Amino acid sequence: MRNFTRLIQNEWLKLTKKRSFWVPVAMLAAISVLVTVMLYKFSTNVAEVDSAAQYLASMLGASGLGQFAAILAVVGTAGIVAQEYSQGTIKFLLIRSRSRGEILASKYIAAAGYTLMMTLVAGVSLYAAGGFAFGFGGTGAQWADALQSGIYGFVYSLVYVTLSFMMGALTRSTGVAIGAGLMGSMFGGIVIFKDFYKYFLFPNADLTIYEKVGPPLPGMSIGFSLTVLGVYMALFLAAGYTGFKRRDVAG
Amino acid sequence: MTLTQRNMSQETERADGAETVLQLENLTKRIGRKTIVDHLSFEVKQGEIVGLLGPNGAGKTTAIRMMTGLIRISGGDVRIAGKSIRAQFKEAIVHVGGIIENPEFYPYMSGFDNLKQAARMTDSVTDTRIREVIALLGLEEAQYKKVKTYSLGMRQRLGIAQALLDRPKLLILDEPTNGLDPAGIREMRDYLKQIACSERIAILVSSHLLSEIEQMCSRVVVIQNGRLVTEQSVRHRTDSQQPAIRIRVDKPEQAQEALRTLGQVQVQEVREAESELLCRVSDTDIPGMIDTLRLAGVAVYRITETTKSLEDEFLQWTGGSQIA
Ligand SMILES: Nc1ncnc2c1ncn2[C@@H]1O[C@H](COP(=O)(O)OP(=O)(O)OP(=O)(O)O)[C@@H](O)[C@H]1O
Ligand SMILES: [Mg+2]
Repeated sequence: MRNFTRLIQNEWLKLTKKRSFWVPVAMLAAISVLVTVMLYKFSTNVAEVDSAAQYLASMLGASGLGQFAAILAVVGTAGIVAQEYSQGTIKFLLIRSRSRGEILASKYIAAAGYTLMMTLVAGVSLYAAGGFAFGFGGTGAQWADALQSGIYGFVYSLVYVTLSFMMGALTRSTGVAIGAGLMGSMFGGIVIFKDFYKYFLFPNADLTIYEKVGPPLPGMSIGFSLTVLGVYMALFLAAGYTGFKRRDVAG
Repeated sequence: MTLTQRNMSQETERADGAETVLQLENLTKRIGRKTIVDHLSFEVKQGEIVGLLGPNGAGKTTAIRMMTGLIRISGGDVRIAGKSIRAQFKEAIVHVGGIIENPEFYPYMSGFDNLKQAARMTDSVTDTRIREVIALLGLEEAQYKKVKTYSLGMRQRLGIAQALLDRPKLLILDEPTNGLDPAGIREMRDYLKQIACSERIAILVSSHLLSEIEQMCSRVVVIQNGRLVTEQSVRHRTDSQQPAIRIRVDKPEQAQEALRTLGQVQVQEVREAESELLCRVSDTDIPGMIDTLRLAGVAVYRITETTKSLEDEFLQWTGGSQIA
């Protein structure tokens, strides 16, 4: 177990020691502040917002800044597998006494950690900016809502990070990995009104929809969506693992 | 010089009856309909430096990739310290340190941080061991600089450092002198000899640089089109035969005449232009030969040994035209 934690530590250091690590983080913080200022000055929708916690609850989901956080998390983690190939460091990684499964798993956990960090960055910067605009603090119920939005926002990001992770492991291309993650999160806004569409990934990714507007298609519920997401993510990881494990590493 | 010779004899001693560290058994790689490595079998023992030699495209890198588990094996097996790389990958690879083609590192991290990355993938490498390896390769000055600022020579050294970290029994190096200047090549060669001796490990080096291989290896394995062509011991090669020597004299014809009476010396060629004779004679017969020449009134200017270089033999084995 200690060995595996050290693999995760390696992956985390590879992500964070890059100077470009701070770019998505800074962008997310900046956008959070900017959006809050804009909403506060120009929007009437936020008139009834009376605390930063309530503001968080409305903004952390995919319909708020969650989508933006997801995109940046995809950008930040898309290279986690592909770059090992482009840098040639994959050989350095695979000729150690660790299985390919362990290596891929440590990478996925680091990517999930990065995603969580982005959700937290969005949360903290929205709370700080929202505090100045609407007053700090909030009621217990508002905080519970904020936490729920945060979790839903994280799940939304993780779904597309997982999709992008699989594409990176299968194609060894950072570009394709980013593309897949971005395309996926863009499809989320489109709903095809056919029954089969509820089994697709896209209408299920944003769980906040059940609170805000109700099920996008008849027969969908939060439990249904969670099951669909779980199945897709398991499939993505299995596909990524199979590709990564079987591949001949040449060149 | 004496030191190297002593090392050599120690190496040979150790190689006799020493543990077999690497064993290839009919190793085969097929891609599509092409057979890139074809039933390749050889062994490397503890303390040996073995050269893997072959013209471009012979399959050296492919064989090495199979030995390190980077690509799948189509047939046969590789055993490292008795463990099969196919069936017991982790147990086998733990004994291997390697550089496959170029030494690649995370460019935005320091040399030390890159070694830390490698250390975290092992069970036992401590910071003390990292410092030890850094000192062994003379990387103290460079260790905290980012790898992207390293010269190729420094990266090669860091590559060796990384490979040595977990005290491997076998070092596999694919063209470790690739891109180095003559001084760098010499330095690398000295490191490898020193390491083989001080860390008591087996080293497999692939290279095109035949003279390199000749100078550091105790044995060469020559492959072509994925197949074994020949296996030769480098150091014993000349011992079995009478060495060929070149004698420069003032009167070559008179010298030839004088030596004809001497049974132990075979004059093979007289080169009038250089005023030289090429002959085969064993060491113990040389004093007698010189006396004979002196008595015949021939002045001897110079006696040199002419060993057929490995390069000549290599060209012979692989049919010349193929080599780049
Ligand atoms: N993935 C692949 N698909 C098809 N052919 C391949 C593949 N990889 C290698 N080959 C072929 O296998 C042969 C051996 O290649 P390899 O790189 O092992 O040679 P090498 O001995 O290392 O050559 P060099 O001295 O140039 O490094 C070459 O003819 C090469 O074209
Ligand atoms: Mg090669």
